[in-house]
Amino acid sequence: MDLIGLYPTWYEPGIGSGWVIGLIATIHVLFSHTAVGAALLFTYLAYLGYRDDRPELIDFIKKYGLFLLVFSYILGSITGPGIWYSTTVGSPRGISALIHNFVWKWATEWVFFVIEVVGVYMMVYLVGKVDKATYLRIAITFGMASFATMLAIVGILSFMMEPGMPNWAEKGGYLLGFYGDNTFAQLAIRIAFMFTMTAVVGGIVVAGLKDQVFKTWLARRLAVLGIVSTIIGISLYPWYLSTLPAQAQIVMENRIPDYYGTAILTVLLATIAYFAFTLFKPRMLTASIAGLATLSILILGLFPGETIRESARKPFVAGEYLYSNQVIAKDVPGMTVKSEIPTLEKVGFTHASVFWPETQRDITVNNAHEVGRTLAIAACSNCHSLSTTGIRPIAGYFGGITDVSRIKTYLLGALATGNTMYMPKIPLQDKEAEALALYLASLADPTVVARYVEENSKTADAPQKVLPAIDDKKTTSPVARVNVSFPTSGLEE
Amino acid sequence: MDASMLYALRDPLGVPAAPIIFLLLGVLTWALHIAAVHVLLGASSLTLFGSLNKNPHWRRLADAMVSTAKIAVSVAIVLGVAPLLFVQVIYDPFWYTSNVLSAWWVIGFITFLIFGSLLLFIFYGLNSSMKTKPKTRCPGAMLAAIAFFLVVGFIMHALSVQMLKPEKWMEWYAPGGIVDASGRALHAYNFWRFGFFISLSAPVIGLWLIAYRRYLLGRDNEDQSYLAFVRRLAMPLISIGGIIALALYVGWMATLDQNVASFALSFWSIITVAMLLLAVAVPFVLSKKLDSGFWGYAPFAVGAVALIVVGAMREALRWATLYGVHGYNALDYKLHMDWYSTLMFFLTFAAIGGAVLAYLLTVSWKAGQTKGMYVASPMVNRMGTIGISLLAVWIIQYFAIGLWVAYSG
Repeated sequence: MDLIGLYPTWYEPGIGSGWVIGLIATIHVLFSHTAVGAALLFTYLAYLGYRDDRPELIDFIKKYGLFLLVFSYILGSITGPGIWYSTTVGSPRGISALIHNFVWKWATEWVFFVIEVVGVYMMVYLVGKVDKATYLRIAITFGMASFATMLAIVGILSFMMEPGMPNWAEKGGYLLGFYGDNTFAQLAIRIAFMFTMTAVVGGIVVAGLKDQVFKTWLARRLAVLGIVSTIIGISLYPWYLSTLPAQAQIVMENRIPDYYGTAILTVLLATIAYFAFTLFKPRMLTASIAGLATLSILILGLFPGETIRESARKPFVAGEYLYSNQVIAKDVPGMTVKSEIPTLEKVGFTHASVFWPETQRDITVNNAHEVGRTLAIAACSNCHSLSTTGIRPIAGYFGGITDVSRIKTYLLGALATGNTMYMPKIPLQDKEAEALALYLASLADPTVVARYVEENSKTADAPQKVLPAIDDKKTTSPVARVNVSFPTSGLEE
Repeated sequence: MDASMLYALRDPLGVPAAPIIFLLLGVLTWALHIAAVHVLLGASSLTLFGSLNKNPHWRRLADAMVSTAKIAVSVAIVLGVAPLLFVQVIYDPFWYTSNVLSAWWVIGFITFLIFGSLLLFIFYGLNSSMKTKPKTRCPGAMLAAIAFFLVVGFIMHALSVQMLKPEKWMEWYAPGGIVDASGRALHAYNFWRFGFFISLSAPVIGLWLIAYRRYLLGRDNEDQSYLAFVRRLAMPLISIGGIIALALYVGWMATLDQNVASFALSFWSIITVAMLLLAVAVPFVLSKKLDSGFWGYAPFAVGAVALIVVGAMREALRWATLYGVHGYNALDYKLHMDWYSTLMFFLTFAAIGGAVLAYLLTVSWKAGQTKGMYVASPMVNRMGTIGISLLAVWIIQYFAIGLWVAYSG
């Protein structure tokens, strides 16, 4: 039996599952990076506090720590597994690929995470209750464990873009999957920006300090930390870009909206300007200003950044072998993984999928539209909304065309052959392509379905009828242009 | 859904160590997680009850329990990560399918857990000294927090039940042959099972109170009437709560699907009942001994073992269902042994986890028992230094091996 392990699909017509994952992931990045940066900052402040006998620094650790307990260790702790949950429902085989490659790394991170959570409570609640040397040991332990959580996760994040080493596919194994150029470039840039986030979020706590002299002193140090880390982060960006696979570079050049880059650059410059403000006018720092700066980084900096990282790895979601539509695209001999493309070419989605209604395994004139919808859900909806809202609405790519045969020709010519950059190869069978084309046409004009049924009911093997060829030169529709360039749309993000 | 379909859903990457290891770690970490959940629910309930009471003992207890609940929610979340990880390794076909079929509830799980946790912290922030102030501010926040925690628990319960019913999956995904990919429904639940796991909160918090009382006994000049109050409260929580839990357990076993009905009288089921009875009986058997030595901590330790047995029983039922009924053997997962990552985890877990947590918990314990400032002994300081050294070694090996792999050519 030719089966491939495609799970059911969660299709969210309002905003799309991709946005749900993106939102949770972006929020988690803010919480978690701030947590690691703050842990290292605490270690340093604890050292300074005890070395120079400055109790106000230890008091600040307690205040910032209390804030972090909720901000990072409750919200961050929940949104961390929250990413697992959201990717589980949005991309089950994507998260499975990461889990099955790196389960022990995640388990190792968990050990550090437990230490980190115990540590933050001790940092907050043992102020003044243990001797200085002990408190400092706790601070160092906490800082190192927190940093280790970042080390443990970063290679997994890199694997989402590409395996650490190019020979991972041939040889397999954790080390070759985890470590590579991109791992270290990403680690460096994350370390830099985590201090930026720590300095911005720390401003919320600093703003509430009553002692103006201390507030000035601390706000200026956070400002310097923020400016230096932001500049280092920006300067590391070219290195990070140079470690991206060629495919990702092309995708970034062609598919990322121009304003994303502008937004990120603007927010980085604004961040530096913000820190310059707190450096020279520290007493004017208020919680609302710091909160606004945090929100700006989240919305204008992190979200586009995460979206770019997400988009650049398309059409893959993990290890450059698993397509965003959950189909295994390539052999990975090192892990004895076989491409599922040949199976799809042989029997199609309708017969290879585990979760396929029995009444839709054989395509007829009468069920073609429903099969098309099921195909669209299974093969397209991970990246394209089937409604008018949400992520990359699919109807927008066909310019209102309702000619089933033309859409079918595009599907067989560009998608089924894998000739569309950024898109997975979707090896549709002839009947499947027709069913999907009918569904896509119906998005522009629902009456197409009735006409199709009426016209094709007259012929016994209607879905297999030969369709008229498209004259590329005479049409300007995106559907027809795809053989020379992939479709674009104003709706594309 | 036949076995070949279930096997097709498995991740073709296989697993990096013997599947039994993931199964055992899953059981063990789940037991730790559920213990924290029980303490959270029990402490939250006692906080609410105590905060609405004018009795000074109740108010002092509410004060202690809200701090307990606050830490317990963090611990429950962090400990919950591990079983969530391990279930995905060997039960991926079942876990992922169940989640996707109820996707909105899965997202709701995260949202409701955030709401519940925030409300708990809001209540804590508003009532930082209940033992000295007679008025409680916004008890509704605590009530709502408990409600959210129960909803979160129910979602997790439903997902766990759904994964055991592959025969229903297609019916849920494509009712009438039409795919419903909305993920808006919870499809299966068993109130007896849910009730059993939630009701265990009562005896567990009772056992926790016995340990809490013993902890207070270690302090000088502790209020004896408060200690007596705690004990008077704990004993019926353990006994009556334990009996209610057992009754719900019987209800759960009586409502098992016919094809696994015999599990009710299996070894795992019987030993579960026996261990729960033992955990309930221990504080009564020890009685006056609870005040001497470390005996006061023994009941909670027995309770923790009982929860591990409950976890093992839960796993055995899953095995009986998935292997016995559906022919899916979680232990024949394709193995791609990865020695480095496997050994690195266990070394980290045992050496760093063991050494560092031993140090941190020792300091916490000693600081809690000391009036004034705790000054660590040379022995404790050495523990701390060893922990830091091990962390440094781990970080150094991370970069050494990583840079060698990435740049050695």
